[in-house]
Amino acid sequence: MESRLLRVNLTTGDCKVETVPHAMFERWIGGSGINNWIMWEHFLTHDVNCDPRGPDNIFVFGVGPLAATGSGSGIKGRITFKSPCYGIFGDSAAGGKFPYMVRFAGFDYIAITGRAPKPVYLHLCDGDVEIRDASHLWGKNSAEAHNTLVQELGDFPSLAHTLTIGQAGENQVGIASVVSDASRIHARGGGGCVLGSKNLKAIAVQGSGGVRVHNPRGLLNWSKDFRQKIDQNEAIYGFKRRGTLGAVEMYQHIGSHFWRNNQGNMFRGDEVRSDNWVKKFHKYSEVCSADCYIACDGRYKLDGTESEKAKKYVGESFRRPEYLTTASAAGALDLRDWAEVAHWGKVTNDYGIDNQDLSTSISFIMELEQHGLLSARQKAELFDRDNQSLEWGCMEDVEELMKDMVFQRNRFGEFFHNGPYYGALRYSEFRGENFMKYATYGKGGASFTEEMRPFPTWMNNMAVASRGADHLKGIGLIEKFQRRDLSMKYFGRLEAADLSTPVLKGACTAVVENQVALLNSYGVCLFHWMLDPGGYTPEDYYGRAFAEVTGIDRTPEELMRDGERICNLEKAFNSRLGLRREHDTICERWMFEPCPEGMYPGKVAADMFETVLDEYYEWRGWDQRSGLQTEARLKSLGMDDVAEVLAADGALVRA
Amino acid sequence: MITVHAQYQSRFREITRVEKESFEIAEPTMVALAAAITGKYGPAMTALLMDEDSKSLNSRGTLYLNSKGTRMYLEDGLADGETVFFMVGIAGG
Repeated sequence: MESRLLRVNLTTGDCKVETVPHAMFERWIGGSGINNWIMWEHFLTHDVNCDPRGPDNIFVFGVGPLAATGSGSGIKGRITFKSPCYGIFGDSAAGGKFPYMVRFAGFDYIAITGRAPKPVYLHLCDGDVEIRDASHLWGKNSAEAHNTLVQELGDFPSLAHTLTIGQAGENQVGIASVVSDASRIHARGGGGCVLGSKNLKAIAVQGSGGVRVHNPRGLLNWSKDFRQKIDQNEAIYGFKRRGTLGAVEMYQHIGSHFWRNNQGNMFRGDEVRSDNWVKKFHKYSEVCSADCYIACDGRYKLDGTESEKAKKYVGESFRRPEYLTTASAAGALDLRDWAEVAHWGKVTNDYGIDNQDLSTSISFIMELEQHGLLSARQKAELFDRDNQSLEWGCMEDVEELMKDMVFQRNRFGEFFHNGPYYGALRYSEFRGENFMKYATYGKGGASFTEEMRPFPTWMNNMAVASRGADHLKGIGLIEKFQRRDLSMKYFGRLEAADLSTPVLKGACTAVVENQVALLNSYGVCLFHWMLDPGGYTPEDYYGRAFAEVTGIDRTPEELMRDGERICNLEKAFNSRLGLRREHDTICERWMFEPCPEGMYPGKVAADMFETVLDEYYEWRGWDQRSGLQTEARLKSLGMDDVAEVLAADGALVRA
Repeated sequence: MITVHAQYQSRFREITRVEKESFEIAEPTMVALAAAITGKYGPAMTALLMDEDSKSLNSRGTLYLNSKGTRMYLEDGLADGETVFFMVGIAGG
């Protein structure tokens, strides 16, 4: 297994191609694992404490070895960088057609450094690379930029597929995102801000190549088995049409939504808490990538008859909102009409901004208004205009505040451009009064629009995830779905599936983080794994596909160690930046305010938080007091070189 | 005989075409409730609800909770008047 890494220095204009050797896959699997290593190496020769918006930051795009091979397990491309909004490790995944076209264009990894003197875009075509003027694209939203490039570049040797940034990225808003083919978003961590700071508006790829596979017949057999397992899973039938919106009713039932800045955990309004999306709005089904056997994507086109608010958006067409888009709109902001939820998804994609941190920033300020903590004068100071309404569920108010943020129009935009935590800090400082109890956040100041308090593993994910509060690093499904079979499989005991005890919740976080790191490094979609066709075992079932593609034949135990190694590198990056145990934490609301409603009322995270965190460190082999990695554990993972760097930075425990 | 209530979401509701219904079952167990439901709705429901390999409730992308929010397994007992919720198990997105 070998692949190609394109290095681009936008300051000098130098572009060079390197071979990614087989040994790199032996150690880092691919995808996010190799992205991480490229960034780690970069910051051995550049200041890790650099300004993430400066030319010394690096932006890496990578595709895992299973992507575009015909395995049918979906594709995720991954971007990796130092996060400008949280100041820590940053990465984000998205599906779609861009990732496989990168491979067909002759590359697997792209590492971008420096800063172009004027707006440019990168064009990759069948092994050739060109940095081109993008002055005509600057100022366009992500979809307009994509459409312009697709039209300009024609259809030879293929249609163009793109990564673009919208106005949020151009304006270096910390929570700006990168948009893939105008509709799939690398939302978290501020990758769009990094590209904006480099004056890089887009990457466009065209290609007619293919992908080498170690054992094509073996992969074909695996793929057939995978397809059969998916076709036999009746639950996937429903998932194909609903996608992650299938979670809406379940979350409503158990009380797992995030309503009005998590003052509640159930949606209000008959429209959004039911299955009406599928009945009224779903118009077309789509495949996300050509290499997916599920095809859960959908598209709407509004004719104005679907709901009361739909007539405002007649003709609007976009992807069906995913669950978290819905959670941020119908939950955090209390929008109660599916047409507005869908519109929120479209405009956040067009502007290129993360709807999690944006919605929780807006809902923070709406909650202050709700409690009478904003006078007319104070609102005028914040918004540079009189009489700004801050009404829950009002799309017009939401859109005004969104523009404030995207275009950096006033103090609200300036204060909150790194998300709710830093926004609340700056606003508290500005007012000389502490409002932090209304900010919802976890590690790094990142926010996430789901109810956490009844779910100890989920809560721990928010505190320890390397990229800041997030579910996709160690998604706590064993606990949330109370899977006793999986608790027995991985721990030989039942407690990981029992919501009432902290026992095995930290362990569960560590094990699932290792699994997810593997999946992200293979480059596949997490939903295939979540729907469990292969028995929920990325280290076993998917490991066989990895072997057929790369020739690297590992035992499940070895692959779990590979996943652990990848997690440890992300941790090491954050340790170099000064993160310790005290940074593995969550906000006051989740920690101390009782869960107000739903199936598990009265729960607070504080009851179990420290116990779970201690157990997590224990399973990781990290020092419980400082939260730092230990030399012994890193050496046992073959990471002596990483341990040396951490020791030099005073970020390693020698025990 | 006891009476138990079943409440359906998403794919389950597509098959049953009702949101909730009640069953009278002779044995106070999930085995009896699952048999009543699959008997009423046929192969599609059987494929969704049962794992033929392990002879247990299908756990792939599905979730069954009692009214206390505890996951139900085939071997679990049921009280008279209990409600079981049949849901898809998906998260994130």
